[in-house]
Amino acid sequence: MQVSNSDGSSPSTDLGRREMLRREMLRYVGYGMGMVGAAPLLEMPQAVAAAPRNLLATPHFPPRAKRVIHLFMNGGPYQGDLFDPKPALKKFAGSKPPGADLVTERPTAGLMPSPFAFHPRGESGLQVSDLLPQLSRHIDDICVLNAVHADNPNHGPALLQMNNGTIIPTRPSMGAWFLYGLGSENQNLPGYVVLCPGRPVRFSILWNSAFLPSKYQGTYINHSAIDPDKMLPHLSNMQWDHPTQRGQLDLLQQLNADHAAARGGDTLLTARSEAMETAYRMQFEASETFDLDRETKQTREAYGPGHFANGCLLARRMVERGVRFVQVYYGDGQPWDTHTKHNETVPKLCQTIDQPIAALMADLKQRGLLEDTLVVWGGEFGRTPTSESGTGRDHNHHGFSMWMAGGGVKGGMTYGQTDDFGFKAIENKMHVHDLHATILHLLGLDHERLTYRHAGRDFRLTDVHGRVVHEIIS
Amino acid sequence: MFVRLTLLMVSLIGCVTRLGASEPQAGGVALLVGGEQSLAGEYEYFERKIRPLLSEHCFECHSDQAKTLHGGLRLDSADGFAVGGDSGSLLVAGKPEESLFINAILYEEMEMPPKGRLAEVDIAELTEWVRRGAHFPPAADQAPRANNTIDFESGRQFWSFQPVHIQPLPEVADANWPRTRVDSFVLAAMQREGLTPAPRAERAILMRRLSFAVTGLPPTPERLAAFINDDSAEAYDRLIDELLESPQYGEKWGRWWLDLARYTDRTASWLPQTSQAHLYRDWVVNAFNDDIPYDEFIHRQLATDLMPQTGAEDLPALGFLSLSPAYWKELKLPSELIKVIVADEWEERVDAVSRTFLGLTVACARCHDHKFDPISADDYYGLAGIFASTRHLERPLISDEVYEPVRVAKEQVAKLEKQVAELKQQKPLPQDQIDELAATIEDLKTSTPLYDTPLANALAEESMYVVRAGEKPEQGTLLEYRPGPRDLPSFIRGNPNRPGPIVRRRFLTVLSDDQPKPYENGSGRLELAQSITTESQGLAARVLVNRVWLAHFNQGIVATPSDFGQQGGRPSHPELLDDLAARFIENSWSIKWLHREILRSETWQQSSAVEFDANHPDPENQWLSRANRRRLAFEEWRDAMLVVSGELDPTAGGPATPLDIATNHRRTLYATIDRQDMSPTLMIHDFPDANQHSPMRTATVTPLQGLFAINAPLLQEQAQGLVSRLHQASLQNDSNRIKQAYLWLYSRAPSARELQLGLAYLTAPRVGEVPKGDTALARWQQYAHVLLASNEFIFID
Repeated sequence: MQVSNSDGSSPSTDLGRREMLRREMLRYVGYGMGMVGAAPLLEMPQAVAAAPRNLLATPHFPPRAKRVIHLFMNGGPYQGDLFDPKPALKKFAGSKPPGADLVTERPTAGLMPSPFAFHPRGESGLQVSDLLPQLSRHIDDICVLNAVHADNPNHGPALLQMNNGTIIPTRPSMGAWFLYGLGSENQNLPGYVVLCPGRPVRFSILWNSAFLPSKYQGTYINHSAIDPDKMLPHLSNMQWDHPTQRGQLDLLQQLNADHAAARGGDTLLTARSEAMETAYRMQFEASETFDLDRETKQTREAYGPGHFANGCLLARRMVERGVRFVQVYYGDGQPWDTHTKHNETVPKLCQTIDQPIAALMADLKQRGLLEDTLVVWGGEFGRTPTSESGTGRDHNHHGFSMWMAGGGVKGGMTYGQTDDFGFKAIENKMHVHDLHATILHLLGLDHERLTYRHAGRDFRLTDVHGRVVHEIIS
Repeated sequence: MFVRLTLLMVSLIGCVTRLGASEPQAGGVALLVGGEQSLAGEYEYFERKIRPLLSEHCFECHSDQAKTLHGGLRLDSADGFAVGGDSGSLLVAGKPEESLFINAILYEEMEMPPKGRLAEVDIAELTEWVRRGAHFPPAADQAPRANNTIDFESGRQFWSFQPVHIQPLPEVADANWPRTRVDSFVLAAMQREGLTPAPRAERAILMRRLSFAVTGLPPTPERLAAFINDDSAEAYDRLIDELLESPQYGEKWGRWWLDLARYTDRTASWLPQTSQAHLYRDWVVNAFNDDIPYDEFIHRQLATDLMPQTGAEDLPALGFLSLSPAYWKELKLPSELIKVIVADEWEERVDAVSRTFLGLTVACARCHDHKFDPISADDYYGLAGIFASTRHLERPLISDEVYEPVRVAKEQVAKLEKQVAELKQQKPLPQDQIDELAATIEDLKTSTPLYDTPLANALAEESMYVVRAGEKPEQGTLLEYRPGPRDLPSFIRGNPNRPGPIVRRRFLTVLSDDQPKPYENGSGRLELAQSITTESQGLAARVLVNRVWLAHFNQGIVATPSDFGQQGGRPSHPELLDDLAARFIENSWSIKWLHREILRSETWQQSSAVEFDANHPDPENQWLSRANRRRLAFEEWRDAMLVVSGELDPTAGGPATPLDIATNHRRTLYATIDRQDMSPTLMIHDFPDANQHSPMRTATVTPLQGLFAINAPLLQEQAQGLVSRLHQASLQNDSNRIKQAYLWLYSRAPSARELQLGLAYLTAPRVGEVPKGDTALARWQQYAHVLLASNEFIFID
């Protein structure tokens, strides 16, 4: 959080770094471990001077969501199969109406209707595809955003934009911004975790911290093997048992304490010692968090089998323990990228997300977490209403659907519309910048004030854009 | 309110087009609310819809940027449209059917543009514009003309733009303390602040500090002993020289430079490259070891291919630019989208070059004049044009003539390999044919001398143009390289689809004496390099001196090493910075000279063991009345582990090795850096993002680093190595082994208490432990691991 001085100027990044480190260590040492809410404000010298005892991170206004789960359908799902029915496609099937010449990645032919039926669901009566029977039971908690749009129809740039607002890799990802603004609620776990059973087509640049301090970057976890030791590098010691390790650590801390005492208790030194203790405890806490065997059979069955189900359940275990932001990528590569055999593939994909997401929603609700946990669902873009090579659909960034639930978002509503065929967002459009601005707002952060001085200017997640879509906030 | 009203009206009218309510000024909706609509909306419409069309199809012949203005007609200004061309008046506002302009694009009496009729939607859009009144923003053609608004003359008065001069030495009370000129300036500041210098650090501490500072490695026990026992006056200076002359110096400081240069071993997978980025890394290491004068170091990295003094063997120097990040360009997309991506790449080059060499954030001026510094958008485009006139490609390190047969052979091989690939698709497999071709390929490769000659990431003097592949945007994009340089138009608000007037390639106005002269020699890269080291010599020297100072003191004289502009810090010791920078230039820009100047000073030799608390007048040590304790960078920590375990593989240079494989025992500098897929170990240890210039490392303290320290195989393996080494040495007992370990790791002997703690750990049984035959050795490994993870090993006093 860039803290302004009374004269409106703000401390420079370069200038603040050394000081930031020192303050951060003060925080570690002086205020003990495991405290709730890191205090990024403290990292800036001016803030320290102003409020030396302000231990809690202070959002700009009361947050509606304290944590976020982002279910990322990498590859780009077709909105017309799931949340945005387009009956007109049937009538004009095969034709190329005006507007079909929208530029997407590849040339497409005529309109291709979706073969999947929709029915009104819940009290709200929102139209949901029959492909998502279980999720549709939660539709009254869900706000469907039908007119999201982005700038680029290629996976790489679009993945970057969904994560950092731009199509280039040199900006911090939204998760890094969340941590920078709010810190983490659990010092024994990483604050920003990225789960993927494999890897999306762009890798660490999707969750990097770019010019923000590196501790804000996402911690990537490949959860294709549900074994805590395989998920988090160096989580366990393969050589020694815990009593031995404790003995080692006791000796280490003794040596470190002597060393620090001879150096006036320099916080540079004591902070590292504390971090080692935290790491030691993290071995247990993270092992516990990432161990799905600790869930009841009933819960495991509720989420169902498969990587994505495991990802959803891990996400719940993490947010429950105060992890700020969990992204669950659907799968390795880009499974939702149906350039061919679209209609055969989509039911299979939906089958693997329907039950887990429904279970996640029910689970969060039952535990009272949905109130202040924001769930976001979507791809990096959607797909075209026209066919590509007969059986596929091309990327479409001009208008596509995402949804949000919990964390202060109104349920049982749709926001925004695409045209009659679903080529393009036309009403209540929501650019990715608007999405980011809204998510930050729900987290209690003003996207225009969450800035970081770098390379001569103040950067924001939303650059010079972004509108908070208040219409969907409850 | 406006949005709601618009929506209401739209729904009342029945909504032919449902345009986004979030764009109240767009198209049809704006007309529906007609009366409320101001000209601003029309101008916005023009900028969004019309100017891009004119720019794309007309400006080549009918604008300021046209090589020859055709038909006396200019379509890039309101005046141009109003005056018309040789064929007469162009427009009747509101009446497209009477306007010559529309007549021509409809291919009626005249056929414009001559290359082909515009797409129907484009014609419709231009017609609509005329129908709406053909509003052309009056000032848009002079849009952000910084030169009119920035007062460069007063801008030049800013401190960092002043020439540097050797400064008179200040008076100091304690005339005995200063050893070098640096000391006089620092002591004077201390006195002013009521501070006194700390005593000189102990010799062993000083030696360890110095060894890491110069080579990034711990001192050898032999060197340590020699230094401690040598009380001659020159011992310390001799040690500095010795370390500066060791090849490990270039390895440490080369890596330091590579942070600034955003070095990567792996470039984007879609680029046709042979992955020999390490040639640039090795070039940098050697440049430091050879102490190439810093001005020449700049020239060669930006333009060695244009320098008569250097030959093809120096081409790896160009990696600074040639290894720049490349962003994915999907050529199936319309050129409008691709132009944006290419413009982003140019911006990255401007950013890296201006921040690295000048400490200026010129990229801030892409969309508008710099908000704080006297840098105009035109200044930005003057530099960006240089990078638009430079092609990144691989080149051999031998002359073109010698390489020619190799080039021909490679072409043939590529052709044959394509044939093989095609044959492999056939059924049944024509194995004989395939074998025959494979043999020919093999033969070509072996019989052509120098077939595997290395290729460096280098540059060539060609300009890049992003053009449509066909007549329509949806037909995709072509990237064309054309010989010769190009000047870029100043893009309005940074958008390459809204070109403004052309800007000649040239240097920054504020750093030139007067109006900067256009560059004439090809792309202008060499002239740019020369401008940096002559016209802005003082700034370039200050920036470099400050970077080196920062590395040695863990704080800069200017706290913002890559921002010497208004928003950057001001020097804590301005005279010192000036004096050092001026003498740096006088001493032939020698970086080794600069190291000596700093390291020989009493200032640098002060102790860090000074008690201070919140009441200390200078808790942040801005006035340098003691040394700053620092944590080793990850590279130094890992390298030091390898040294003390005796496992270090000292092989210098060559291709990179993945960091996390157990057999990699080379210095960390040689570990693979992949900017797209950074090693997790590097990522958690504050290694900078290799996608962009990194002014300095941030040091964070995280539990993930702690997990690494207590559990990573690296520490376990090096602990094991250390233990075997201790047991191989002719050390009779554990006490001696502990003493030896302390000497290797900490450059000192253990205290009695430390010795006792170690012995106790090694011998005392612990609760619940099952005794095993190898217990003693296991204990030693645990103990060695503790020493490697300790604060004393990872911090420098």
